[in-house]
Order: sequence, then structure tokens, then C-alpha cells
Amino acid sequence: MTGFSTLNTAVTGMSAAQRAMDIAGQNVVNANTPGYSRQRLGLVSSGAATSATFHTGNRAHFGGVEVKEITRIRDAFLEATRAAAGARQEALTAEHTVLAGVEGLLAEPGDTGLQSTLDAFYSAWHDLATNPSDTASGSAVVQRGIAVTDQLRYVASNIAARWGIAHDDLDAAVDQVNRAAAELANLNVQIREGNAVGRSVNELMDRRDLLVRELTEVVGATAVTGGDEQVTVHVNGVTIVAGSAAQELRVTGSLDLDGSLSDPPGLAWGATPVSVDSGKTAGILAALRTDLPDLADRLDGVALALRDSVNILHNEGFTQAGDPGGDFFDGTDAMDMTVIPTSGTELAPALTAGTVDGSNAARIGDLMDDRAAKDVLGSDGPSVLWRDLSAVVGVRVRSLDTAMQVQETVLASAEDAVQSNAGVNLDEEMTNMILFQRAFQASARVITSVDEMLDTLVNRTGTVGR
Amino acid sequence: MAVSRITQRTLTDTALRGLQSSLGRVQGLQEELSSGRRISRPSDDPSGTASAMVFRSQRAANVQYLRNIDAASSRLAVIDSTLMQISERLRSVQALMVQSRNGGLGQASQDALATEVEAIKDALVDTYNTRYLDRPIFGGTIDEIIAVDASTNAYLGNDEPITARISRDAVVRVDLPGTAAGADVVPDLMDRISAAMRSGGVTATEFDDMDAVFSTVMESIGDVGARAERINITRTAVDSQRLDLTTWISEYEDVDLPETIMNLQAQQVAYQAALGAAAKVTQTSLADFLK
Repeated sequence: MTGFSTLNTAVTGMSAAQRAMDIAGQNVVNANTPGYSRQRLGLVSSGAATSATFHTGNRAHFGGVEVKEITRIRDAFLEATRAAAGARQEALTAEHTVLAGVEGLLAEPGDTGLQSTLDAFYSAWHDLATNPSDTASGSAVVQRGIAVTDQLRYVASNIAARWGIAHDDLDAAVDQVNRAAAELANLNVQIREGNAVGRSVNELMDRRDLLVRELTEVVGATAVTGGDEQVTVHVNGVTIVAGSAAQELRVTGSLDLDGSLSDPPGLAWGATPVSVDSGKTAGILAALRTDLPDLADRLDGVALALRDSVNILHNEGFTQAGDPGGDFFDGTDAMDMTVIPTSGTELAPALTAGTVDGSNAARIGDLMDDRAAKDVLGSDGPSVLWRDLSAVVGVRVRSLDTAMQVQETVLASAEDAVQSNAGVNLDEEMTNMILFQRAFQASARVITSVDEMLDTLVNRTGTVGR
Repeated sequence: MAVSRITQRTLTDTALRGLQSSLGRVQGLQEELSSGRRISRPSDDPSGTASAMVFRSQRAANVQYLRNIDAASSRLAVIDSTLMQISERLRSVQALMVQSRNGGLGQASQDALATEVEAIKDALVDTYNTRYLDRPIFGGTIDEIIAVDASTNAYLGNDEPITARISRDAVVRVDLPGTAAGADVVPDLMDRISAAMRSGGVTATEFDDMDAVFSTVMESIGDVGARAERINITRTAVDSQRLDLTTWISEYEDVDLPETIMNLQAQQVAYQAALGAAAKVTQTSLADFLK
């Protein structure tokens, strides 16, 4: 060991301290960067020769300190838990958004919903029953009937429109997935190359983790890190990223609400269907495949029950001119229902031909009572079906609300766990800064001391007593 | 929270989450207060929504029953007053018949009585053709604007009932067939009476027929009165039910003001406490204590 080698030792200490300051600085400035994982300097003491040598004897040799690695503090399990919790929350939120929009359309309970419109329609029939020969009462019935069909069409067309919007969202989400998958595959390549030349790839890996989280939140993907730090991404068993290769997903199935029951929308890779359990796309698909078609179906049920109950009775009646009543409503679903009579004279308020009788009008007005409607149809009438529909939407939105609140706390604690592991604690970094500042000063002091020592050795040796 | 290592980020996140949820509750209460409604959409209370919708529908039905009751009452009132007119006119004819029967009257006087009866008969036919809402009240459901033909004395009406639903479970007949008011026999009877007067005086036959018709009319007056009474009783019941329903709807849909305001107050205090805590926690830093 020589005094000169101690200088080198001190220099390694100073550069290690500088490096540590670098990292503390990096940690501090990225304290609020999304996806950033704090980094730590891995130091090892170096150069201690341990085996004795015959010629020189066993003399300790100190080589200073060495920066072994810069580690990224990150727990893959916590990260995956956080991403999965986020994916479930995204699924709930996406479905909730669609259904909450539909809920607003119903305008129930209130004076502007279909229930009130139906009641007003039945009331108009009662008024006609009171005064069967009055043309004004007759036109009121026709107008109220048109109001009912208008409202049915309004709700039906808006459900269809919301289906279309949700489908656009699905397209956008799949584009996002394909873009993220391509970028992730690209990062895989960069990381492998970086590792090969010994460059620090920590920031690239942070970026890649963010992409994995994005993919998880959108399609519920899971990621596995393999050899060479290469990440493989699966969606329910289908690989979408492997090494440098990314597979493009696409949207399959019907492009409109009408076809969504026979040909439900879905995702596919090539010809392989990809089922999605969580993530935003799962929520959108639930709305597209189940919720909205079910509502549209129920709404058609309301329309058909109304059409049939009124038509059955109207057919049994006679117009003022003595003609059989015929149908009142025409159409096959909520969207295309129309009122056939154009004026009060085409209505059939009488039960006996050739009389001025309002008893058939009264029977139709009585349909406002759920029991009467059930008697005529043999099944639930339009009011009951409409209330069921409103309750179904209400319960669904409510349960999604509750699930979202629960998931919110799950997500929060998962996020806390990730943050408490990988997040930057400023106090800690500042303490480290002080620590390494002192280490730097101490190393510098070693150099000064050695310098003084050498000074003594070189300049003062042999001059004692001079 | 079993978290050992706390970072500035987790602190601010926790503080922010607390503020968010506290503010969310304040917003919910504020929405209830400003709209005055506890249920603005079905998901606010799905089962309450279903109940409120049923009550709303029943209230709409009750409002309609009240309209039907009003129409029925005024129709029966018209029938009632018309029957009164008929009975008065029949009574004056009876008085004339008594004069004719008393004897000692010359043919000239009998003729004068006959002329009076003929005038009353015209008035009676007009009365039988009284219209309500442009329809003859004694015509049943015939497609005519008169019930009795003034020239042939023929009764044109039928016995088809006109009914009205006055409550969920009650239907009441709101017309009176012309036969129950004597529309089918009175014009002929009047002609027979005046003819008898012109040929010397009325006989017992006319008296008997007159008595029969008169009692028919009086019976009908009683019947119409009883029905009007029944409708009135139903009106009270339906109206009070309508008020009950309105109260129930309000209980389901409207906010309980004192309770909601108190809740809002409590939430605001909680929110302020959360704000204070967040401000204190996020301000401190080691940097403040280092030289």
C-alpha cells in the first residue's frame, strides 16, 4: 500500500458521493412524476485482495468504493395489484357512464316521464268516454297517443345513440391499446440494447411500467417479465406483446344496437376472439353486449304491451259512423310506433255500432289501472313494464355506484402500497443528500491529509533539524 | 393502513382523497337541497322510485276519477232538475184534469182546458228533448239530437246505459232512460187527455195512466238523487285519497329540509376539518429545519 493509492481510494469515495447526490437529485425532482420509481445506489467496497501471496506476503489492499448498480425500488406484485385494482375501477366507471346517461333519459320519477305521458293518454280516453261525440275530446286522444309514441321513440333513439357513442369509445380504446402495445414492444428492444451496453435503463423501465398499467386499465392485460428484462403482455391468455413483437387487436361484431343481440361486439386478434374481464373495454363491452340491448328490449316490450292492450280493445269498438274500430297503434317496436287515427272521428268509443256510446273509450281509459291492463293482455301492462325498466336501470346504476366506491378504497390502498414502496420520500432524500455531502467532504479531507502526509514525506524527509 | 414507509406523495394523496369524498358528500346534499328532491333519478333510491311512480300513476288516475265525478254530477244535476220540471208540468196537467172531471163545465171551458194541456204537452216534449253536452239526456246512446219526435210522439231513445268510472273499483250509471221519465208514454197521454177534454171531459182511465206516469217520474227523482249522493260520497273518498297520494309522493321524492340542512352543516364542519388537516400536514418539510 502506498500513500498514492489512498488518493485513488479517496477519489472513488468522492465520485461515489457525487453519484449518490445525482441520484438523490433525480429522486427529488421526480418526486411527483407519475410512474417514477425511486432509485438507490448500490455501493460495494472494492479491491480487497484476500488471498495471501507467497512473494509479497499477505498485505491488505484497499481499492475504495465501487458503484455496483443503480437499482429501481419496485415491487412487481404491488404494481400488478395496483394495476388490477385500477382495471376493475375502469370497467365499473365505463359501464356506469353509459348507464347513468340512459338513466337521465327516463325522467323518472317526475311529470315529464313516460309514466305521466301514458296516464295523460288514458285520461284523454276517459274524457272522451264522458263526451263521446265531442270532436275536441277525440283529437285530444289522438294527440296524447302521438305524445306517447314520441316519448317512446325519444328514449329508444337515445338508447341507440348511446350505444353508438359507447362503440366509438371502444374503437378509441382499442386504438389506444394497439399504440401502447407497439410502444411497449419498442421499449423492450431499447431495454435489451441498453442492458447489453451497460447503460442505465431505469427510466425506460419506468416508462414501460406506465404502459403496462395503461394496458391493464384499458383491456385488463397482465404482464410477465422474462429473461433479458423483456416484458410479455397477455389478455386472458392471448399474447399481445412478446419481446419486440406487438399484435394488433380489433373490434368485431355488430356496428349498431339492433344487431348487438345476434352479433355482439367483441375484441379479436386476427380470427381469435379475445375475451376481456376487466379494464375500460370490459365495462364498455358489458354496456354494449348486455345492458343497452336489454334496455332496448324492455322498452320494446313496453311499446308492444301498449300497442296490444289498446289495439285489442279498440278493435272491439265502433266509430261514430258505425265502422269497426281497427287498430289504434301501428308498429313493431318502440322506435317505429305510430298512431293510426288522424282525427277523433276514426276513434272507436262505442261498443254498440250506430250509437253514441263511450263505454269502449272508458274501457281503454281504464287501462290506467294495472289490473285492467293485465286482464286484457294476460301479462303485465305497459305501465308495469316501464316501472320495471326504470327500477332495473336504477338498481344497476346504484350497484355500480356502490361497487365503484368500494373499488375506490381498494384502489387507494393498492396505490398507497405502491407509493410507500416505490415513492420518493423527500425527507429521506434530503437526509441522503446530507449524508453523501458529508461523505464527499470526508473523502476530500482524506486527500488533504494524504497530501499533507506526502508533503511531509517528500519535502520534509531528511531535513529534520536543518 | 399497514403501511410502514410514508412518502410526501401518499400524504397528499390521502389528504386529497379525504377532501374529495367530503366535498362529494357536500355536493350530494347541496344537490338535494337546491332541487328540493331526494330522488332526482332512479338510482338515488330504486325501490323508492318504483313506489313513487306507482303513487304518481294512482294520483293521475284519481285526478281523472274526480273529473269523471264532476262530469257525472253535473249530468245527474241536469237530469234531476229536468225531472223536477217534468213532475211540475205533470202536476199542473193533473190539476187541469181534476177541473175537467169535476163537471159543471161547459164544452167551451173544457176546450180551454184542452188548449192549456196541449201547450203543456209542447213544453213537456221540449223538456224531454233537453240536451246536455249536445246530447238528449233521455235518449240513451241513440245517434239523434232529440229523444221524442214532437210530430209523431215517437220515443226514439234506447235503454243503453251511460256509465262513468268514479273510483278504481266503482262504475256508476249517470243517465236515466227516457222510459223512466215517461218519455215514451207522456206525449201520447197528453194527446189523449186533451182529446178527452174536447169530447166532454177526462175519464178514470186517463187518471190512472197519469198516476202511473207520475209515480214513475217520482221514483226516478228518488233514484237520481240517491245516485248523486253516492257520487258525492265517492268524491270525498277519492279526493282524500288523492291528497294522501300527494303526501306519500312527497315523502318519497322530496327532501326532509331540517334533516338535510343539519346533515349539510355537519358535512361542512367535517370538510373544514379535513381542509385544516391537509393544510397543516402538507406544509411541513425537512427543508424548513435544515440550515
